[in-house]
Amino acid sequence: MTIFGASQQQKHSRISSLIGRLFASCLLLAGQPVLAQGWFSNWFVAQEPLQVSVDEAFINVYSGPGRGYPIFHVVEREEIITLLKSRTEWIKIKTRRGIVGWIKRDDMEFTLALDGSKPEFPDSKQADYLVDRFEMGAAYGDFAGADSLTMNIGYRFTKNLSAELRYAENTGQFSDSQIIAGGILFQPFPELRASPFLSIGGGTINTYPSSTLVQTEDREDNLLQASLGTYVHITGRFFLRVEYTNHYIITSRNTNDEVNEWKVGFNVFF
Amino acid sequence: MESWIQRLFLSALLLGLTGINSSAYAQDDGSSDDDELEQIITPDIKRRTIKEDDLDSENFEMGIFYGLLSVEDFGTNDVVGITFAYHITEDFFVEAAYGMSKTEKTSYELLSGGVELLTDDERDLSYYNISLGYNFLHGQVFISDKWTFNNHFYIVAGAGNTDFAAKDYFTTNFGAGLRFYTTDWLALDLSMRGHSFTHELFGESKTITNLESRLGLSLFF
Repeated sequence: MTIFGASQQQKHSRISSLIGRLFASCLLLAGQPVLAQGWFSNWFVAQEPLQVSVDEAFINVYSGPGRGYPIFHVVEREEIITLLKSRTEWIKIKTRRGIVGWIKRDDMEFTLALDGSKPEFPDSKQADYLVDRFEMGAAYGDFAGADSLTMNIGYRFTKNLSAELRYAENTGQFSDSQIIAGGILFQPFPELRASPFLSIGGGTINTYPSSTLVQTEDREDNLLQASLGTYVHITGRFFLRVEYTNHYIITSRNTNDEVNEWKVGFNVFF
Repeated sequence: MESWIQRLFLSALLLGLTGINSSAYAQDDGSSDDDELEQIITPDIKRRTIKEDDLDSENFEMGIFYGLLSVEDFGTNDVVGITFAYHITEDFFVEAAYGMSKTEKTSYELLSGGVELLTDDERDLSYYNISLGYNFLHGQVFISDKWTFNNHFYIVAGAGNTDFAAKDYFTTNFGAGLRFYTTDWLALDLSMRGHSFTHELFGESKTITNLESRLGLSLFF
């Protein structure tokens, strides 16, 4: 790099000298593939390869990202491997000789970065998903006899507080309905594996009575929601969510409706 | 002319030196040689710490599929759709799917002549669902002496809605399939799904299971 840079700085007026230099630099780059890679990849990606050396007798290399795939190679102590990408608990690697395969993420424990430090591959704990996280989830429930499907997108501002948007479709024998609502969710003990939460929210519900029934109109009403539930941490970013919601529908008729709903679903944090 | 030949020669010489030096460097690995020349010509590889966040993760998958959907009493027709999946662990994934199809006249409508149970628009069928999947029987297939591809089976189960005959029907789905990875980010998917729901289109409540066979292509990113 340095030579190249230095020779670059020199002024040349003649085209032939330029061609000569290009030729020389081609030779230079071809002679040093590592350098060439670095030089060209800088143009496209501003990243250098992530390399670690093996710090254990050997690490198994699998043909695919799963424990059921065959082990077709091993990388040995002090061998330098390049980390390419990850999928679930697997990391795709490339050896110096160009062999590409997958190693277990847990085996990163048996490697060292080239500066001698341990690579930081922390086990994702529940605590990692407590602040500044988006969550997405889906739940199945029973909405007063109708089957309900709820999807939610949320954002957790602090350890205890998050805001979310909910969309639900309830399909029943006599009517279908859709709910769009927003809510605030409060978790008093976020660190617990089964962490209870309280939530209040509001939105609208659109009801479409079944066409086979006597003439009834589609209607749109406001509703209030109060929920009590719990998150249960399963693994990594994956949580089970069980919830009991009380929907208070403010109708234009004389009486307001109240619907209780049980829901069970899962949420993923990002 | 002379000067550029000289320069070329010098460059080549320096290149040679770099080569020798870096290989020498590789051999005595880590011994701190404070040679000034080495300082000039050794490419400065940044020796940095490695963090998981620096590594690109590929846990999402997006796909399209085409297949045949047989809707009980309403014939078998093409179905097209899209899928979106998130791989939680090597075993489990969640998948959202959306599919569209058309249905045909029932045998009764054909035989009776003029009777129409549904309008044209009502014959369109679309569905969406969210399912949990489980991968199993990972392995490799050998196409020839040199080509091997990863593959695995999977099963899925989930729930969603089917929009058909101007109404939404709560639908449960079960399925199984075979994944065939051409590269690790491109997979072919050959699978079957069964979509069950209960309708009252013929007056009585009837639970039907609509079988779907499909071929899909998905990208991991």
